[in-house]
Amino acid sequence: MEQILNRIKDKIEIKISTKKRDDLYFFTVEKEQIEFILSYLKEQENFTHLAFMQAVDYLEDGKFQLTYMLYNYKIHINLGVNVLIDRKKAEMFSMHKLWPHIWQYQREIHELFGINFPGSPRVNESFVLEGWEEIPPMRRDFDTLEYSEKTFYQRPGRSTNDPKEYMKEKMYKNYADTPTIRREK
Amino acid sequence: MKLKDILSPLRVWERAAQKPWTIKDPINDRPGATNYRGFHKNDFNKCIGCGSCEEICQNAAIDLVPVEGQETKDGNSGLRPMIDYGRCCWCALCVDVCPTGSLTMSNKYTWVADMPEEYRFVPGKTETKWQESEKGYKRSEDIHLIDYERVEMLEIKPEKRDKSFIEIVKGYNKEQAMKEAERCLECGICIATCPAHMDIPAYIAAIREDDIENAFRILYETNPLPEICGRICTHKCETACALHNNGESLAIRWLKRYIADQIPSEKYKEVLGTEHLDDPKIGKSIAIIGAGPAGISAAYYLAIMGYKIKIFEALPDSGGMTRYGIPEYRLPYDQIDKDIEYIKSLGVEMQFNTRVGKDITLDKLHKDYDAVFAGTGLHLGRSTRIPGADNKRVYFATDLLREVSLGNEIDVAENIVVIGGGNVAMDITRTLARLQNKKYGKIQILTTSLESEDIMPADREEIVEAREEKAIIDPGWGPKEIEIQNGKIKGLHVVKCLSVFDEEGRFNPKFDDKQKKFFKADMVVESIGQGMDLSYLSEDIKSNLKFGPRGRIQVNENFQSNLKWLFVGGDIIQGPDVIHGVANGYIAAKAIDGFLNKNDKRRKK
Repeated sequence: MEQILNRIKDKIEIKISTKKRDDLYFFTVEKEQIEFILSYLKEQENFTHLAFMQAVDYLEDGKFQLTYMLYNYKIHINLGVNVLIDRKKAEMFSMHKLWPHIWQYQREIHELFGINFPGSPRVNESFVLEGWEEIPPMRRDFDTLEYSEKTFYQRPGRSTNDPKEYMKEKMYKNYADTPTIRREK
Repeated sequence: MKLKDILSPLRVWERAAQKPWTIKDPINDRPGATNYRGFHKNDFNKCIGCGSCEEICQNAAIDLVPVEGQETKDGNSGLRPMIDYGRCCWCALCVDVCPTGSLTMSNKYTWVADMPEEYRFVPGKTETKWQESEKGYKRSEDIHLIDYERVEMLEIKPEKRDKSFIEIVKGYNKEQAMKEAERCLECGICIATCPAHMDIPAYIAAIREDDIENAFRILYETNPLPEICGRICTHKCETACALHNNGESLAIRWLKRYIADQIPSEKYKEVLGTEHLDDPKIGKSIAIIGAGPAGISAAYYLAIMGYKIKIFEALPDSGGMTRYGIPEYRLPYDQIDKDIEYIKSLGVEMQFNTRVGKDITLDKLHKDYDAVFAGTGLHLGRSTRIPGADNKRVYFATDLLREVSLGNEIDVAENIVVIGGGNVAMDITRTLARLQNKKYGKIQILTTSLESEDIMPADREEIVEAREEKAIIDPGWGPKEIEIQNGKIKGLHVVKCLSVFDEEGRFNPKFDDKQKKFFKADMVVESIGQGMDLSYLSEDIKSNLKFGPRGRIQVNENFQSNLKWLFVGGDIIQGPDVIHGVANGYIAAKAIDGFLNKNDKRRKK
């Protein structure tokens, strides 16, 4: 695997590269290099299998991270290729020409993160959220609690207690309130 | 065809005799995976009702409800989470955040009931089929949503501090304080345990927002001595902290100190809004006996309510035990001054070197003032009364600590034994160790207590730091006799102490006379508790005053004695510690205000 990584490093600049396990590696590349590196890994280095693809929202940095998880049956190595894209311009090249089945992952990410993959087959069809009108729910600025309270009604008869207030009531109810400061009128 | 290709299919038979992984009757019997996120379980022995599960729930599915048999007490609200399974989405964030680890999940996920209301219940209280189930989702041991490690407090190294009285603890800087404040869960369970019921989560939230002035105002709502308490408070709140169940509690005391340290003295009035206090126009005045935490606290709250206050103090300066009992390396004098100078600047008058009962009588105070608050503290030492304890080289810890604070020289011996296991014993040990080191260049001090190491009343860090400073702490021994030859102390004979308290929790030490030790010494210090000095009470007042158990003046919940004009608080009533004094003074101030207003109304009628 080290040899493969060295061969890749000869070709392009790898930003971050980590070894998580003996059979699990990750590295991060630039968006412009993703098509080249993925086809190179598939055709030249035997990473023939795309296991899955996923996204992470780095809201604070204004980035999405996409991960292509590849597998090499010859040397039994998992390799994750990460790419960071701008959150404001959430768009990525479609890889369906390399792995036709990727269209389904891209459709899922499109729906849940709002990242577009122009040219990907059936990318605009709903994946699980039929009739969804909010911002994509896996985006971290989506307020799950607010949505849940708005959408699902509360069972009647519910009530809750704040530990702070409840303990005051039970343990030191008569403790005096702060005196008010008497100022000049 | 290779040989391998022929043999490979036969390998299937390897497992022929093994128990199958498949389920026999998947229609009726379908257990979830071992790590399945099914219905919740809650271990009531661990749950403290902090409400972190309710707070994190993204579906508003959790309510905190009282549960019969679950007591509301220090560190435990007695509330328990009730989950509405009509809303729960099984994400398990509640399990991941649970600071005690009480909330887990079973692998049970199928359940049929007729009534929708049955799907809303309190796990751990309601009988369920899965409550004993071992399987199901549990919080990962290595990934935590909560940070269980405290931001380290920098201290001066033992070899640099053991000769001087320079403050040991350096205090947090902004970055450290904000990082530590991040750890607070805001459950508010600590508030009940704090004797002054300070709004701890609120001032910590203000640190996170970097609004120090607001944090400072919150401190003064219930405690006018933040610099003092930020350094030497007994911080019982930290033992009630939800994080304490599984890791290091929040450094509440150091965060309080951080707030107070950020505000310079000259900005106090502006920040607290006391620049233009109403001149004491109520026309009522109150005398306070003792300028310790209780008296100062009462004075502050009475002053901001518009009363004229005069404090009478027997010693030459203010602060009481915080100045004359606590060594400078724990609480520098300028920090005491910072707290108290502000209160003085509000018009509180302090008359020092005036002992009530000797220089001025309590009867006169009663006559000249509308009410009197006495917070005279515990300044008298208690003796072990063992043979030899009457020798002139046997001292009380409180007396010596006072002498050091007054700047008087102490005739420090080369070999010292201290009797006592509380914080005062540690204070005198470490103070004398420093003085020994200065005088002789070496430390030969040994401290022994009745209590064994695990039940020593002193704070753990005090014991650790004393040892770092080369004092010897040898707990678990009962003093028998101070050996004297020709009027000079030779040392202390002790026997093994087996237990300090009897089964009913009363002080009743048991000894094993066969196990003996002898500690060589030419000076002995007793630090086994403090007594009160009630000499300020005249015989007349004394005979009219009601006393409770152990010779304490009896007071009601407002610290009012049966003589309505006399309020008593601080160490002589509760504690002994600073924060009880502050709380007593605060309550008494409100009560004095109420008492004087009530009298007014009566007169008008």
